[in-house]
Amino acid sequence: MSTLKLDLENYKELLQEYIRSKDEQALYQAEQFSKQSMQQKISPDEIINIHIQSLQEIYPEMPEYIQSSLNFLLETMISYGLAYQEHQSLREKQLELKSEISVAANMQKTLLSTVKPEIEEVEVGALSVPAKQMNGDYHHFVYDEKGTLGIAVADVIGKGVPAALCMSMIKYSMDSFPEMRMDPSVILGSLNRVVERNVDSSMFITMFYGLYDSRDHTFTYSSAGHEPGFYYHKDQGEFEEIDVPGLVLGVSAETTYTQYVKEVEKGDMIVLLTDGVTECRQGERFIEQEEVLDVIKSYADLPAQEIVDQVYKHFERLQGFQLRDDFTLIILRRNV
Amino acid sequence: MEFQSCVNIKKEWDIVGARQLGRDIARKIGFGTVDQARIATAISELARNIYLYAGTGKVCFEALEEIDRKGIAIIAMDDGPGIKEIGQVMEDGFSTSGGLGAGLPGVKRLMDEFDIHSEEGKGTEIRVVKWLR
Amino acid sequence: MNLTIDVSHKDNNVTYLTLAGEVDAFTAPKLKDTILPLTKEEGQTVEVDFEQVNYMDSTGLGVFISALKSTKEHGTELRLLHMQERVYRLFKITGLTEIMNIDSTVQGGM
Repeated sequence: MSTLKLDLENYKELLQEYIRSKDEQALYQAEQFSKQSMQQKISPDEIINIHIQSLQEIYPEMPEYIQSSLNFLLETMISYGLAYQEHQSLREKQLELKSEISVAANMQKTLLSTVKPEIEEVEVGALSVPAKQMNGDYHHFVYDEKGTLGIAVADVIGKGVPAALCMSMIKYSMDSFPEMRMDPSVILGSLNRVVERNVDSSMFITMFYGLYDSRDHTFTYSSAGHEPGFYYHKDQGEFEEIDVPGLVLGVSAETTYTQYVKEVEKGDMIVLLTDGVTECRQGERFIEQEEVLDVIKSYADLPAQEIVDQVYKHFERLQGFQLRDDFTLIILRRNV
Repeated sequence: MEFQSCVNIKKEWDIVGARQLGRDIARKIGFGTVDQARIATAISELARNIYLYAGTGKVCFEALEEIDRKGIAIIAMDDGPGIKEIGQVMEDGFSTSGGLGAGLPGVKRLMDEFDIHSEEGKGTEIRVVKWLR
Repeated sequence: MNLTIDVSHKDNNVTYLTLAGEVDAFTAPKLKDTILPLTKEEGQTVEVDFEQVNYMDSTGLGVFISALKSTKEHGTELRLLHMQERVYRLFKITGLTEIMNIDSTVQGGM
């Protein structure tokens, strides 16, 4: 089919052809005409105008009342034309915004990026997937040459851009801490004061901070109202909830955090997560905690990174490939 | 040839009067049916803005004649509250939600030239022009 | 899912809010607009009945955290009543049960 020219002559010919033959071919051409009109941002009232002019040329004797009725139609369509043009311009703007947000999301990724450490004694698997473009979950690893691995997992209330901005603040506060090993309770205490001072009253952050000492295989941790993690006993094949009290960051400046220590046996795992994992929904049904643990257990023989990848794939599929909340899962396993 | 004629806007009915006068002038200048319809729509928007937001004001028309072109200017004036954020009202989607009308961006699209002066507490003057092609 | 908020006055100093539905990112702003002004009226106690709230997410929790902060500022009181287990768990994990006045008779058992 040759490309159509969007002019009066062309339209008139098509119209004439159709009136004569009532042919599907002409109607198909009309469809092409309308598509091309849209591409060239021609508004509906303009097409009606071309129609009126064509009719006048084909039927110079056209009755006056037909002419008037067509003018009436034209008048009626003007506002639709405007609405259409506005719609077009809003669509362009939306695309602009989208690309701006994706630039911001990439920046955030770079800013908050953390390197998963490769340590002989302890194997690490980590995955964090945002529900929307920007991630309100955050995890961070710090490994020092003395053999301690610090792990932070945090969740900002809400999703999207505000959560992401808030997370960047946490990241920079943590970067400003001294290089030396710091106790989890101290880290949470000072972050709490930062958040309490700087963040809107309805915003809060939950965080779990753990220190894995690869020399004596102890895990020292504190929690600021974060979703409880799990300790997996390989021998019994059982999970134990790491349920520790602690108030969310940013509610009360005086809060202090208690610190706990756990000895980690060979082959055992520590599972840290955010509520995007435990609050998965299948349709209207919530997924029970046991289901999450069963899924983790079913992959327990795989390398740590593969476990987290498989668990994510499982729940992604279960939720119809549309996450409702940011999803972060970290697994540590003592290897030697 | 340059003359100005105005319609006072006090009640909704006056919008129709303004459209009628504007359309007559446009037809005399030589605008075709589509352009007449567009000009009338622009007048409606301007007059309705006066009626809704300022209460009273007027819409005036000028037939423009230059050496090589002819056109129509529409000037809408009121002593209403004025527009605080002109940038905002000129943004697509700002005043049109709910299908209330094309808003000022719509008027701008219908016409060839668009100029607005507004001062908070003093009023607004909008001048638009369409040239005969 | 929607959230309905019913406001009634027990007596002069107690406002009783009955919530029904889900408190999430969509419904939380409405709840916040209702509850925050109440916590700013001197001498007021705001009681919130959670019996018919079957889901709440962290955005909802944020509303109650701001309300709590506001009660501290204005010398008012906030009491949360009749929570279902799933909702109570959220307050428990986040440590808020320690600092908020939450009626401990949890619906549906633990």
